[in-house]
Amino acid sequence: MLSRGRGKRGRRAVTAGSAAPMAVSSLTRALGALLLSSAPSLPQRAQAPRLVCLGGNLLPPCHGFSTSSTLSTNDPMWKCRIKYTTRPIGMKKTGGRDHTGRIAVHGIGGGHKQRYRMIDFQRLRYVPGAESGPYEEKVIQVRYDPCRSADIALVAGGKQKRWIIATENMQPGDLLKTSGHIGRMAVSANEGDAYPLGALPVGTLINNLESHPGKGAQYIRAAGTCGVLLRKVNGTAIVQLPSKRHMQVLETCLATVGRVSNVDHNKRIIGKAGRNRWLGRRPHSGLWHRKGGWAGRKIKPLPPMKSYVNLPTAAARA
Amino acid sequence: MAGLWWPTRPAAGALRAWGPRGPHRGKTVQVPRRPLPRTPWTTRGPPPGAPLPRSWQDKRPVQEQIPGLEQVTYADKQYFVPWLARPRHPHWERGWHDPRHSPGPRYEAMPLYKERVCYVCHQRAKMLEGVRQALWLTKTKLMEGLPPKVLNIIDESANQLENQDEKVQNAISHARVWNTTELIPKRESYCPVLLEDLLHLCRTMASKYPSLSKRMLARDYKVAATWERESSILQVRGLNGILLNAINPLLPVASKDEILATENHILETFHPISPTIDLQEVNVYEERNDTGFREGYPYPHPHTLYFVESANIRPARFKPEQLRAKMLMFAFGNALAKAKMLYGDDPKVLEHPVVVQSIGTEGRIFQFMVFQLNTTDLASNDGVKNLVWIDSDQYMYDYIRYLPGIRKKVVKFPPGIYGYRPDTFKKFLALYLHGAVQDSTQTKIL
Repeated sequence: MLSRGRGKRGRRAVTAGSAAPMAVSSLTRALGALLLSSAPSLPQRAQAPRLVCLGGNLLPPCHGFSTSSTLSTNDPMWKCRIKYTTRPIGMKKTGGRDHTGRIAVHGIGGGHKQRYRMIDFQRLRYVPGAESGPYEEKVIQVRYDPCRSADIALVAGGKQKRWIIATENMQPGDLLKTSGHIGRMAVSANEGDAYPLGALPVGTLINNLESHPGKGAQYIRAAGTCGVLLRKVNGTAIVQLPSKRHMQVLETCLATVGRVSNVDHNKRIIGKAGRNRWLGRRPHSGLWHRKGGWAGRKIKPLPPMKSYVNLPTAAARA
Repeated sequence: MAGLWWPTRPAAGALRAWGPRGPHRGKTVQVPRRPLPRTPWTTRGPPPGAPLPRSWQDKRPVQEQIPGLEQVTYADKQYFVPWLARPRHPHWERGWHDPRHSPGPRYEAMPLYKERVCYVCHQRAKMLEGVRQALWLTKTKLMEGLPPKVLNIIDESANQLENQDEKVQNAISHARVWNTTELIPKRESYCPVLLEDLLHLCRTMASKYPSLSKRMLARDYKVAATWERESSILQVRGLNGILLNAINPLLPVASKDEILATENHILETFHPISPTIDLQEVNVYEERNDTGFREGYPYPHPHTLYFVESANIRPARFKPEQLRAKMLMFAFGNALAKAKMLYGDDPKVLEHPVVVQSIGTEGRIFQFMVFQLNTTDLASNDGVKNLVWIDSDQYMYDYIRYLPGIRKKVVKFPPGIYGYRPDTFKKFLALYLHGAVQDSTQTKIL
């Protein structure tokens, strides 16, 4: 029978409406649940002192609790989940404070409650057990994400579903191709497909760019942005970011083709101060900073090209 | 300084007027917490393979780095001092097995662990592709509408209650309006009450057809059925719905020709999505086929499954497509378990197909389904297929008005049921009478 002990792997009964991170899913152990990732020896939460939570994808058959997750949580480890899930996770607002408790970033606080949907930025992710190679995925749903300016899309391929950043003109029912192979000829890519930079023709608009192969997309993710693939130079590719800065990366880095969704995001009018507060932005300080330097037109030369190519070799030399 | 019009801060050392209340009152600054640990989902940082910066690297204790050097910790003092190191205690073993504080066996150590994965469909499995996915998994061909046998029962006027519409509308009003003192009852309260009332109305027909009394309802029973489908093991397990059992089985609905004609039908696949998506993958399982009832149960044959979809919150509720898929999977599971019990575990085409009906509702919209299991040979994609007739999205009424609509002090829209459709209950009754009533061309079973 389920006991109410609170040990490290203690079993806790699930009560109706309890937050998914807080409830230890002992039911999953009892019923022999999910083994989507084949790594049972990994800690379920990264070195959590007392709060251990197995992957919250509970699938017990008989209990009548609500299957929607909580709106917010008091758990400081809410973003340290190891197991991927498509269900939204309750977030804890920081108010601009860091781990010491002091304000690190001003002007953040309040705003509507948001639930975080785990986005998979590493587009080329092979399921353990499936063979490597180009694969297709189908778009199930495109929806608004409160945590970013772009829209997100639920795609399904094989036996798994995941959230990705949606591109412009992505509709439910589209098929997206993801490939890690660089051929001799450049591929004629459709919007939404993900290819390595070396396989794309020069001049394509790309988004969700990685700086290192396999790291996951960290550049060009905001609504309506796109980068341009400028040229390909023996094993590296040079991309122009939306800030007009040039970036040199290895040609095996993946990027998706097209512009990010929600293109008219910069044309929206906030309209009133209250809407900014709903977005979680607190008012600016009214103090006039003499040396702030914000006023006036700035004409600067373009900063030098940022190269992410030579870094590993420099570390190898040192 | 109470005379000032601007808010003043209290004097130094006094309790802050604007501080936290309750158990945290008086606490000044919270203990600085450590920065969050690094997980794959905090994507900032160096790429995989590159060395971490010094502050992120795991610091081995000095004892390991310089052998022979001992760290002075406050373990002996048993209280914290800021200039001594934090002691690392060894893991404490209880020495005896305490069932309330033991982690339990790992999956690999459990006796039922198997390398091959099994995909389980249970009552909370919402399948992505809905009925199409269920059709592939159960090797079934879909026919729109109800079978002609059932439609004949609907058409006969003798198969109706007296004042049927009035009685059904009373049942709807009872469930949705009269059952509670609150103005608008929740779906969790009205949906099962409506189903019970409709079943009660059907049971009143037993005076006309005495063979209707040879039936029994069963709740909270667990079904288990296992089959192989193109090199993956599938299972249907667990609580499903309310099952109406009968002494005599349902006769096959489709003729032999129709059954043989299904051999040419090709099952629909949906590349790139795998047909086992959204099913629970388990490594610890037992291949069991169990109808849920023991030998010698007086009502051995499954007749109809009733599904009540009454979750209050919309995300927890099944959509009609997913409800139909769940109905199909569980009707198939019950039929397969019964067939394996009667005819053995060998995969073969059944001489006497097993028929199970299924009705699912969420209080207003009804889904009707008749499933016929023709074959237990489900591993390959060709051969004889099973048949299912689905009548989907039958509205019993459009909406209920709880409060009267008054315009200019005149009641324009009285409270009550709006948009009532009598056909839905006729189909409900026909599915109930199916098996006890013969067609008008044949004699009645008494």
